[in-house]
Amino acid sequence: MPKLLIVEDEKNLRDLYGEELIESGYEIVKASNGKTAIELIKNDHFDLIIMDIRMPEMDGIETLGKVITMEKKIPVIIYTAYSNYKSNFMTWTADAYLTKSSNLDELKNKIQELIP
Amino acid sequence: MFDIKIARLKNILYWVFKIFLPNLIIAGFILGLLAYTEDIKKSTFYILVAGMLIYFLIRLYFYYYKMGFFIWKNLKRLSQIIDEFKKGKFVLTEYDTNTPKDILQVSKELLNVGKQFESIVSSQSDELKKFHEIYSHIIYSINSQFIVIDKNKKILYANDSFCKKFNFELEKISGKDLSSVFYFENKRLKAGINHVLKDKDSSSVVLQNVHLMSVNKKSMMSDIKISSMNLGAEEQIALIIDDITDRFSKDYHASILSHISETMGDENEAEITSYNILSGVTSSSGLGFNRAMLFMVENDMLQGKMAVGPDSFEEAIEIWTSLSSAAIDVTTQYSIEIKRGALLQKVQNYSVSLSEDNVFTQAVKRMEKIHVRDAENDDRVSEEIIKFMDVNEFLIMPMISFKKVIGIIVADNKYNMTGISAQSIDLLSVFSFQSAVLIESHLNLIEIRKEMKKLEERQDAIIESEKMAAVGKIASHIAHEIRNPLVTMGGYAKRILKVSTENNIDIKSIINSADIILEESERLEKILSNVMDFTKPFKHIKEFNDVNHVIRDTYKLLKNVLLEMNIKVNMNLAENLPNVKSDFNQLKQVFLNLFQNAIEATPSGGNLSIVSYSDDSYAVIKIRDSGTGIQVNDPDTVFEPFFTTKVTGVGLGLANVKRIIKDHNGIITVSNNTGRGAEFVIKLPLPTTEQKKAKNEIFIE
Repeated sequence: MPKLLIVEDEKNLRDLYGEELIESGYEIVKASNGKTAIELIKNDHFDLIIMDIRMPEMDGIETLGKVITMEKKIPVIIYTAYSNYKSNFMTWTADAYLTKSSNLDELKNKIQELIP
Repeated sequence: MFDIKIARLKNILYWVFKIFLPNLIIAGFILGLLAYTEDIKKSTFYILVAGMLIYFLIRLYFYYYKMGFFIWKNLKRLSQIIDEFKKGKFVLTEYDTNTPKDILQVSKELLNVGKQFESIVSSQSDELKKFHEIYSHIIYSINSQFIVIDKNKKILYANDSFCKKFNFELEKISGKDLSSVFYFENKRLKAGINHVLKDKDSSSVVLQNVHLMSVNKKSMMSDIKISSMNLGAEEQIALIIDDITDRFSKDYHASILSHISETMGDENEAEITSYNILSGVTSSSGLGFNRAMLFMVENDMLQGKMAVGPDSFEEAIEIWTSLSSAAIDVTTQYSIEIKRGALLQKVQNYSVSLSEDNVFTQAVKRMEKIHVRDAENDDRVSEEIIKFMDVNEFLIMPMISFKKVIGIIVADNKYNMTGISAQSIDLLSVFSFQSAVLIESHLNLIEIRKEMKKLEERQDAIIESEKMAAVGKIASHIAHEIRNPLVTMGGYAKRILKVSTENNIDIKSIINSADIILEESERLEKILSNVMDFTKPFKHIKEFNDVNHVIRDTYKLLKNVLLEMNIKVNMNLAENLPNVKSDFNQLKQVFLNLFQNAIEATPSGGNLSIVSYSDDSYAVIKIRDSGTGIQVNDPDTVFEPFFTTKVTGVGLGLANVKRIIKDHNGIITVSNNTGRGAEFVIKLPLPTTEQKKAKNEIFIE
């Protein structure tokens, strides 16, 4: 069972993703900010990371930078309320950029695509 | 006159009656006596006659000794001496040795007296002559022009300076009417003379800046002192005329140059500027040329730009008389209206390539002035130019600025036909240099303006695009803020749908989802009201509030949070703080925002200090925290809309605070403390006396 890490500061959204993705058959670990996420990644194995950008303590961009420079190669989906965020951020590239939606089908399809 | 003949007759009669007749009577008497007493012998008679003769001769001798025998001759000499006296000569005519001593003595003394007189008179006349010489030398040679006229304004005397200045010979003008020596009668001068003639009390009048022009067309600006002199019964008027042409034209140039530099800079005024420059060349108070033309170098062409001057002789006369008739102020002489006559048209139609060679282009290429004295016999001047100028003598002055010829000024004296003096050439060369610098800077200014305009347009475009970017930023901010709750709401709504279609309905999950939806919709409302608050139009404030009261009221709302966070509050509010014109709710929002910000920035155990006091014109509130402070270079950016350091929030809180304070005509500033945290200072204006009055009236109502 693939293990996903959800990094999202809004509890309601975090829970929503969690419930939906558990139902889709994934194992879920949740973090409320980038700092916690990095700690978790160091000590655990994840198949994929779903991450927001605007977060307290350590935001999604900084976290992405740290994840990408790690030895472990973990695919990252940036899942944000900003639309067209990709164009604004090119230093590190995530595997996918998606805009948050109440319909999680797009997210689920992307996860399928990245970890078949 | 002495009548010598009468004198001679008298002299003879004197002899006859005084000498001869008494002798004869005495002789007769003695003879009668002798004849009566005794018989007279012939010899006795002879002796008697001989004695009588001797007596007569002796008397005659004494008479002669005393008076001179021929008295008329001496009288004649005396009368000659007197005549000589009368002529002022004191010459001793040689007397013959027969001249009686007394007369010789007298005439010698007379001569001595005469000699003394002569020496006295001649020494005094020498003195007088010397004085006369000195005075007439002074009057003759003083720089000022000096003329004396009688009460009928006929010229009695004019000094050398006057004659030279106006090209007259004294003999030819003396006895003539004053007005006949001038080209046109200056009304001010006339009035001045009449004033002196009429008003005996004011013996002199001083006129300034009078333009005089002689019939020989010599022109000058002058200060004139008119004074009356009474020589016995006759009244004479002395005019002392000071030539101030140079000084005046320098002043005029200085003022015209400063006037030009003042009006300069406007592209549309380029014409006016060049017109003013040429006016400086032509005006009587300026260089006094009749005509002036300006040609500018443009793209290897010499293009006629401007011209000033009369189109005809009649017009010239009209200009001269009108200029001299009024007391003209230098500063009002600049014409704003450009005369668009035949001359200007001709000049503006003229253009020549610099590669062509004529006397104009030569002046440009050689960068030197050309003084054409006799155009028809001057090889440099082509037929075309002769036809164009229609005058024999003219001056071409290049305008050089920064070692570059930017144009030429061509000037002539077409109408009064006077020669161009070395002095006016010098003046024009200085003036054209100054003008060239001015025009050059003018052109540069216009160029700079054009560039500025381009830049401004570019800047406008940038601002426009930035505005668009700002709109995008606003939209993306709001979109971001709204999307999170919307996604959450939608997600949980879907969950409710999903859960409710299952057989085993999980009520707890539905309630949980509904709670979340509710919570998020409240958040949405809050975001919306935040945005709406910021865009809310300005509300007219009428009420007066105690700021301390607003602070305490706000503090109450946050008291529990502060306790929870363990933040210590030091409140130091001034008593008797004057009420300020303010909106209670808006002020409350300001303090709520600031306190909340402070609380968010301040870690547990920190401090919050709130101070209020008033100075002369403001109620001042300082809110200081011991939090993280402001992490940007320019602390004022925190007031910009959509500035936020928080994870959630539209970033309108402080922007809204600033807007409210601005609506209250107040000031808000922020700075970092030297230690930790930030300090916000709000200044709200204290009511003015009128406002207080108005406030009282409201209370009375």
